[in-house]
Amino acid sequence: MRKRAVVICPGRGSYTKETLGYLRQFGNHVSPFLADLDKRRVQTGQITVSDLDNDTTFKPQVHTKGENASPLIYACAYADFTSINPEKYDIVAVTGNSMGWYLTLAFGGALDMRGGFDVINTMGSMMKDGVIGGQVIYPICDEQWRKSPERMAVVDKAVVKAHEISGSEIYLSIALGGYVVLASDQNGVNAVLKELPAVENYPFQLINHAAFHTPLLRPIAEKAFHTLPESLFHNPKFPLIDGRGCVWQPYSTSIEDLYHYTLGHQVVETYDFTRAVTVALKEFAPDTLILLGPGSSLGGSLGQIIVENKWHGLESKQAFTERQANNPVLLAMGRPDQRSLVV
Amino acid sequence: MYNRAEAVDQNFVKFVLEGRFPEARSQTGLAESGLSAAEFMDLFETQIMSRQMDLRARILKNQNECFYTIGSAGHEGNAVWGKAFRLTDMGFVHYRSCPLMIQRAKQVPGSTPLYDTMLSFVASSEDPIAGGRHKVFGSYPLMIPPQTSTIASHLPKAMGAAFSVGRARDLKLETAVMPYDAVVFCSFGDASINHSTAVGAVNSALWVSHQNVAMPIIFICEDNGIGISVSTPTGWLESQYASREGLKYITCDGLSLCDTYRAAREAEQYARNRRKPVFLHMKCVRLLGHAGSDVELTYQSLAKVEATEFNDPLLHSARFALENDLATADEIVGIYKAIEAQVAAIGEYSKTRPKYLKREEVRESLIACAFPKASPPACSEAELRELLGPDVDKPLHLAKQINMSLAETMHRYNAAVVFGEDVAVKGGVYNVTEGLYKKFGARRIFNSPLDEQTILGNAIGFAHNGFLPIPEIQFLAYIHNAEDQIRGEAATLAFFSQGQFTNGMVVRIAGLPYQKGFGGHFHNDNSMAVFRDIPGVIVAVPSNGGDAVKMMRTCAREAWENGRVIIYVEPIALYMTRDLHEANDKQWTAPYPLKGEIKLGEFGVYGESKDLTIVTYGNGVFYSRQAAKILEDKHKVKAKIIDLRWMAPIDKEKLLEEIGSCSQVLIVDECRKTGSWSEWMCGAILEAGGKIPRVKVISADDCFIPLGKAAAAGLPSRDEIVHGALQLLNKV
Repeated sequence: MRKRAVVICPGRGSYTKETLGYLRQFGNHVSPFLADLDKRRVQTGQITVSDLDNDTTFKPQVHTKGENASPLIYACAYADFTSINPEKYDIVAVTGNSMGWYLTLAFGGALDMRGGFDVINTMGSMMKDGVIGGQVIYPICDEQWRKSPERMAVVDKAVVKAHEISGSEIYLSIALGGYVVLASDQNGVNAVLKELPAVENYPFQLINHAAFHTPLLRPIAEKAFHTLPESLFHNPKFPLIDGRGCVWQPYSTSIEDLYHYTLGHQVVETYDFTRAVTVALKEFAPDTLILLGPGSSLGGSLGQIIVENKWHGLESKQAFTERQANNPVLLAMGRPDQRSLVV
Repeated sequence: MYNRAEAVDQNFVKFVLEGRFPEARSQTGLAESGLSAAEFMDLFETQIMSRQMDLRARILKNQNECFYTIGSAGHEGNAVWGKAFRLTDMGFVHYRSCPLMIQRAKQVPGSTPLYDTMLSFVASSEDPIAGGRHKVFGSYPLMIPPQTSTIASHLPKAMGAAFSVGRARDLKLETAVMPYDAVVFCSFGDASINHSTAVGAVNSALWVSHQNVAMPIIFICEDNGIGISVSTPTGWLESQYASREGLKYITCDGLSLCDTYRAAREAEQYARNRRKPVFLHMKCVRLLGHAGSDVELTYQSLAKVEATEFNDPLLHSARFALENDLATADEIVGIYKAIEAQVAAIGEYSKTRPKYLKREEVRESLIACAFPKASPPACSEAELRELLGPDVDKPLHLAKQINMSLAETMHRYNAAVVFGEDVAVKGGVYNVTEGLYKKFGARRIFNSPLDEQTILGNAIGFAHNGFLPIPEIQFLAYIHNAEDQIRGEAATLAFFSQGQFTNGMVVRIAGLPYQKGFGGHFHNDNSMAVFRDIPGVIVAVPSNGGDAVKMMRTCAREAWENGRVIIYVEPIALYMTRDLHEANDKQWTAPYPLKGEIKLGEFGVYGESKDLTIVTYGNGVFYSRQAAKILEDKHKVKAKIIDLRWMAPIDKEKLLEEIGSCSQVLIVDECRKTGSWSEWMCGAILEAGGKIPRVKVISADDCFIPLGKAAAAGLPSRDEIVHGALQLLNKV
């Protein structure tokens, strides 16, 4: 009997030094798709995805730039999505984090593969002349991945203080399981970094990330509506769960609403990944979550959301880790051991 | 096939694939309905989800995992209410409302209606509304207070909530829950419309609206033609409601999503724009019997059951989708099967979720209040003097003190409203609300129609919308025809919502016996058993004016801050009493206490004695105080009197501690002996064990109270208390 799987699409930070060469390793079966992608990149005067992936070294200033990272991640995730063994898994819903929403649309059938490229490449390239603001990530859970009211209070306080000293609005950009991603203009980001007390490596600013999912990106949303037509969008083939936890069903989706959400609300309002995954767990009752590559950097956040929901009785990091070791409920395709269970 | 759930399930797939569909009963199309193709399919998916939930409930029931199988099958058209009404329109819905809940949840991003409902099916403690205490359709984020009603006893409060919307607007109530242009909708079946609560609620809505007061309510009758096994007479509802003056009647084919949506929009617009009541009559069918345990074939022929099943609303929607090229037959079956698998998986997972097993866990939500409110600051002495005038320093009787305390409460709480029969201009039959109308205006002090269900329904509805209702029930005996509004509705709200919804109120009731010159049973009722066994309810019985004021302060605060339901019984016979022992001693009067509360459960204690303790309340305190003086003066016996003040909850341990080592306990109870508090008191003393004191009960006779001079014949008297005390002490 096939297992019920919800597919999770990764976000902008997923292509890293460790994942360099991911397409070379896992993308052979999608070479026509890659060739097409590369061709279109050439047409837009951009470095090809294959070249980026084949680079001998990871160059943060190149690989993490929106116009490069976005299509690169799209290609890697596509390679993974198409590797899921349909004999083993029924995909019952697709969701994703942040930029992962565009991937969700593409893999869920709401954008065809070319439309997917248009949306992802265009949105990724919106700020090639300079990003607007930035994002800071910070933990709000304890060592066992339980939400910590104390840490949440610390964040609230720091946000107020950072606003006071910088005069900038500080926004919740992404609710990311046991982390918050805050966003602001660079002044605000600097103030947030100053005000948040250090916890391990946190806080830190996400390199080459803009103040996504905040009103600061309103000009980008406006530009997107002018650049990308509604005709790129179609009815999805799977239920899609967006960054509010809304479900877009194959036969009842209003294309107009989906278009406006994607280029409007989603761009300028908080992306609630925690809620999206919670809806996936509860409303689709999957046997497994499949996290597409590259990498598996969302794995921690997903684990935290699982713990928050006490999913299958997993109420701590330790319980989650033990379960993952024996009978994993989260399969990250960027991890060879878990990938083998998916393909 | 005996299992009709399986038959309905299999036939849907079979008939869709074979193209066998019931004939359309309505010709309303997408254009006329105002629905887009996507919206139609969205509603259709909701219908399928609800059906799959019903079918899964039956399967889980067979595994002994589900505990409630009254379903929505046949009523799937009610998904439309979830779309037509705004999230800020409060809904009081009946138990066939799964489609409505699913659809309404789609208005709130991140909702998980299937999972949440399944948790309630399996009575999991994680059920977000009732915590597994009952299968209810309710949700705080969806503004649907949970209802357990199997009849239409939720209609009076729906009417009250609708009434409160305009009143909140008029008063610019800051704590209003609903916006001023909200409407209220309530749903019920064609059988329960015959219940007096439903009839009364419609009547009262019209009574209010007839006076051009806003009553934006939609009564939605989901008419499946049968109540358990009794068919609704053909044309009955139309004959009663289609041409009732002041009531807009709209009917629709509940098997057609388009026609139902057309009607719902018309109803919603009419109620919202005209602020007048609507009766929306949705004709549907009932599939799968009344509940899982109801075998229809015992009272209906198989042919009739199958004919009804063929009118499955899902088949109607499927036909419409095919006719309008919204989906192919294979796609429809694909949707049906995908949702079946989804719901099955949710069902399997939900079974593993935790359940309450312990008594303490179950009762945790009895008086829960998830969103406590802060009271406005207490009135200062100067404020009270200005409000109440120079009378505050005079010796005041109980009625006047309560009257002033109501003025104080209304002054302190802008949200407080007083209503009941004759409370406005007349000031109540005992003048307890005298002058309030003039002081606080017609919008805060108003008369109700002569119907206690309406008065209490109003109270619940007003409380739902951020008011502090202080309804008056004219006489204790009048509560009995409306008791369920407290017992089944107000008192259960916190329990079934884990305190997410509360309906704090202070129900004032003039009651208890000993009225001279005006009486008979209905004005001298002496039974409070009706309140004492309702879990979570506070029952206050002040015996004198000073206590009454301080207890009212506590009551208003508890109702407002913690949403408590409070019964405040005022002993009528003591209203105007001034003297205790002799004429003009004025010992039953006192100046108005300008500050202070009497804590919940705090007793009043008079005298000190190791030999005799009299435990009593209300009129019993008055007569016991008289008796104590005689005992002391004539028989040299000292007595300690404990005035319970609060009849529920009673702190048993504290009370026993107060009785202490006293060797004789006299219990004086003006209520009928059987089922009275005195029985509980005896039990409490006995249960405590140790050195058990001698106990005697002087209570009212198990008889109704007659008229005239015999009115007090069966009641504890001063002399009887004296005699009883002496008996206990072996002095007679």
